[in-house]
Amino acid sequence: MAIFRPEEEAKVRELLDALERPVELVVAHGPEETPLPGARDIDFGAETEKIVEGLAALSENVSYRVEDRPPGIALFPAVLVLPEGKDRGIRYHGLPWGYELASLIGAVVEAGKRESSLSAESVERLGALERELAIDVFVTPT
Amino acid sequence: MLLAYKAALASPRVSASAIESTEFPALADSMDVWAVPRIVVNGVPQWDGAVPERVFLDRVLAPAFE
Repeated sequence: MAIFRPEEEAKVRELLDALERPVELVVAHGPEETPLPGARDIDFGAETEKIVEGLAALSENVSYRVEDRPPGIALFPAVLVLPEGKDRGIRYHGLPWGYELASLIGAVVEAGKRESSLSAESVERLGALERELAIDVFVTPT
Repeated sequence: MLLAYKAALASPRVSASAIESTEFPALADSMDVWAVPRIVVNGVPQWDGAVPERVFLDRVLAPAFE
């Protein structure tokens, strides 16, 4: 199944060409699917894996593997985005389709940068943080 | 969403998760999600909608410095 239309694929490939370091994606399927009402025909985990596989096919710097239940993950399916194979707490929970595919691609692009694209002031403020900060952003695909 | 990811990349103390609301309706309900993006920090709902970088930092860092 093609994930992108040809013109989209060219654009995504261009974005991924800018990666300065390898990014590994981990697809976590989790335990047995709990079907959503009205969505029983969709295997969210399998669809997520197809999307991630499609992204990895577009760049030598993007790889992926599948893990059933990585430690600390409670919502499935999930995609973990690991810059240079290191877990920096970057996740996407659910099927990254529609508008939200851009979020996953954005995560990969940012993870592939050696320098933060935040302002120096922001980086400094985050560097001074003395507590753990878990930011959850609830999104919808449309 | 990207600002949260950028923050996580900039600090080992920060983690950032996107959560697809329609796939996790019970969790979304518990966070009173009725507009997106809805930003939740350390399990506490904070605000809805995209904001500029400086405002985002002001808001996510505020509870941590209390």
